[in-house]
Amino acid sequence: MSKVLQVAWREFFVTVTSKAFLFGLLIVPVMVMLMAWLMPKLIAGSDFQARGSIAVVDPDGRVSEALRAALEDETLRQRREQAAARTLERMPPEARAFIGEQVMAQVAPSVVLALDERPSGADIEAEKARLYSAPPGERPFALVVLHEDVVESADGSLRLGTYDLYVPPKLDNRIEGEIRRVVNEAIVATRIAARGYDPNAIRALMAVPRVRAVSVSPDEERDASEVLAMLLPMAFVALLFIGVMTGGQALLTSTVEEKSSRVIEVLLSAVSPMQLMAGKLLGNMAVSFVGLGIYIGLGLALLAGIALLGFLDFSLIFYLIVFFVITYLALGSLMMAIGSAVNEMREAQTMMMPIVLLLVVPWLLWMPISRDPDSSLSVTLSFVPPINSFVMLLRMASASPPPAWQVWLSIAIGAASVVAALWFTAKVFRIGLLMHGKPPNLMTLIRWARQA
Amino acid sequence: MTRSAHASVDAAILLEGLTKSFGPQKAVDDFNLVVPRGALCGFIGPNGAGKTTTIRMIMSIFFPDSGRISVLGHPSALEAKDRIGYLPEERGVYRQMRVGEFLGYIARLKGMRGAGLAKRVRRGLERVGLEGVERKRCEELSKGMLQKAQFVAATLHEPDLIILDEPFSGLDPVSMRQLETLVRAEHERGATVLFSTHVMHQAEELCEHVVMIHRGRKVLDDAIPAIQRRFDPRTILFDPFDPNADVGALAALPVIEQVDAAERGYSIRLSEGASPADAMRSIVELVPPARIELARPRLEDIFIEIVSSTGDELADERRSHPKAVDAEAEVA
Repeated sequence: MSKVLQVAWREFFVTVTSKAFLFGLLIVPVMVMLMAWLMPKLIAGSDFQARGSIAVVDPDGRVSEALRAALEDETLRQRREQAAARTLERMPPEARAFIGEQVMAQVAPSVVLALDERPSGADIEAEKARLYSAPPGERPFALVVLHEDVVESADGSLRLGTYDLYVPPKLDNRIEGEIRRVVNEAIVATRIAARGYDPNAIRALMAVPRVRAVSVSPDEERDASEVLAMLLPMAFVALLFIGVMTGGQALLTSTVEEKSSRVIEVLLSAVSPMQLMAGKLLGNMAVSFVGLGIYIGLGLALLAGIALLGFLDFSLIFYLIVFFVITYLALGSLMMAIGSAVNEMREAQTMMMPIVLLLVVPWLLWMPISRDPDSSLSVTLSFVPPINSFVMLLRMASASPPPAWQVWLSIAIGAASVVAALWFTAKVFRIGLLMHGKPPNLMTLIRWARQA
Repeated sequence: MTRSAHASVDAAILLEGLTKSFGPQKAVDDFNLVVPRGALCGFIGPNGAGKTTTIRMIMSIFFPDSGRISVLGHPSALEAKDRIGYLPEERGVYRQMRVGEFLGYIARLKGMRGAGLAKRVRRGLERVGLEGVERKRCEELSKGMLQKAQFVAATLHEPDLIILDEPFSGLDPVSMRQLETLVRAEHERGATVLFSTHVMHQAEELCEHVVMIHRGRKVLDDAIPAIQRRFDPRTILFDPFDPNADVGALAALPVIEQVDAAERGYSIRLSEGASPADAMRSIVELVPPARIELARPRLEDIFIEIVSSTGDELADERRSHPKAVDAEAEVA
């Protein structure tokens, strides 16, 4: 056992102190943090400022009146503040503290519009031409031509008209969006006023405050989050994938390196092939645990930071570890068998293709399984190794977790696949390590396993 | 090291009927060997004869198709790895690892522990003339230096049995001599040494005993003096006391088949069945010698003779059973 631990410790130490591992480990959290910091800034476009006018042809001038009021600075500010407050209200309190600053930053007007009222009988073609032929300082952002029935229909019904919007090519979509919003609101406000309703009362009647969703089970009640319910299964599958690939790739690389540098025979003079294999598997599993531990820790810290920790079922972390060990031992050992059979990494890439394709399957099936975790497809794939671990985790993290017997059956099937994979790898490993020359194909590996 | 000695429990290595095939080709065929404890034994044979395969089976790196192995009294080297030092033919290292770390790692795998390990690594390197390379990366060492470092890896734990596969290949004459001295020192310490080579003069100089393998079969297994006696006791080197003496007259003696001028003196070939002692007496009586001695054949000549004769047999066999012989030739 001490020899196994010696091999394991060397594998672990060499890998975790390598630049490639440190870079690979840190790059994901750094990228996530960078995006979290950068994306709101990019989306909010706080540096964006535009000032200009919209030309409006209004048959009876009623919408123009509402538009003029809506485009006043004070109205603009109030409207933005109300929108920001509504956005904030939908968020959990801690999340407000976390991103509230960016939401409130949007209150500052970035597009300032002036109203350029055109005569009701204006020549539309001439007005359109102004969008590109007027001097730059006088050129409007857009031309809005309101239909006659935009406020009230001729027959008194509620089949109301709309407006035509003419814009020059390459108009910034933020300006166009602002124009649409302002015009739409002005039309709606005019329609409400025309019928003698109170706009504030109607707005209040249409608004529903933030809903608190609670997940109820026989054992407990916990807060439910729609967004988290969608992201959580994905996060667990990603963690499983990262864990398996981190250790598996390190196993493959170190085995190919030991074989190509011919150090393997020196090692085999001191340890048996089984001890070497066990040590390598253990060492690189520890490497994966380091990576998983860091990512799980960061994930929990993030959830705690935005007060969403209560949404997480902690038993999922236990099952993540169980399924990781199963999948790592099954796929990692097969990757090591490939490493022992080839002469260099280039040859390994070809033989790795079936394993990589297997690992892609859960990503392809993420959406159908998450949406319908109890479908025949989901249940069947929960028992097909080696993707059963991914599928079962997807289902367990979904809104409709599978019954316990299915989970444990999947674990048992996974454990059996580990035994088969280790048996195959032990056979191939022993023969492949000292084989040089033409790289074997899959059939050769199977023949080696049978004859060893 | 005869077959009768196979039952000896005191053998460091005991192989009985060892056979190993790769696919349809037999790499080692019914191979028997006994290496007594404390022996210094050479394992010779041409390239592809089956030396490395046999050694790998002794080390339990390969497993035989049939036959029995005993290493230091154990049925498998796996049970005695910590007591065996092995220098493989294909010498590899972790290129990025520091020399001291590499040697320490191998020593720990061989069961060595404790605070004194670093000191022993340093002393081992000093012993082979590699002082101060512990901190260097393995890739920074020359081939000869690396070979010496690997010799240290094979012997640092003071094993009872040392197996060296082509230890002298790629070394310059000075390093070769140094390694020979180290092998002798290990042998004098009490270790059993088995080393394979196809450099015959080294086997001749170092070994007490030689085993030769050819085409997977053992073709020679004896002590060096016995081999030399057995292979050519029929040539006498003769240098007359009088340079003008009529040496050609010796050809008239019935015990003498042929007399040839040699680089220094004459080479006298004895008749079939003639006693070398009687022949020497007759020669001395007829022509007084300045020097007379029985020619001792070099191992290299014996090696070539065995390989050629086996080649001739193979050619004969090929004529009668072409397919079977071709298959065997591919194995080699």
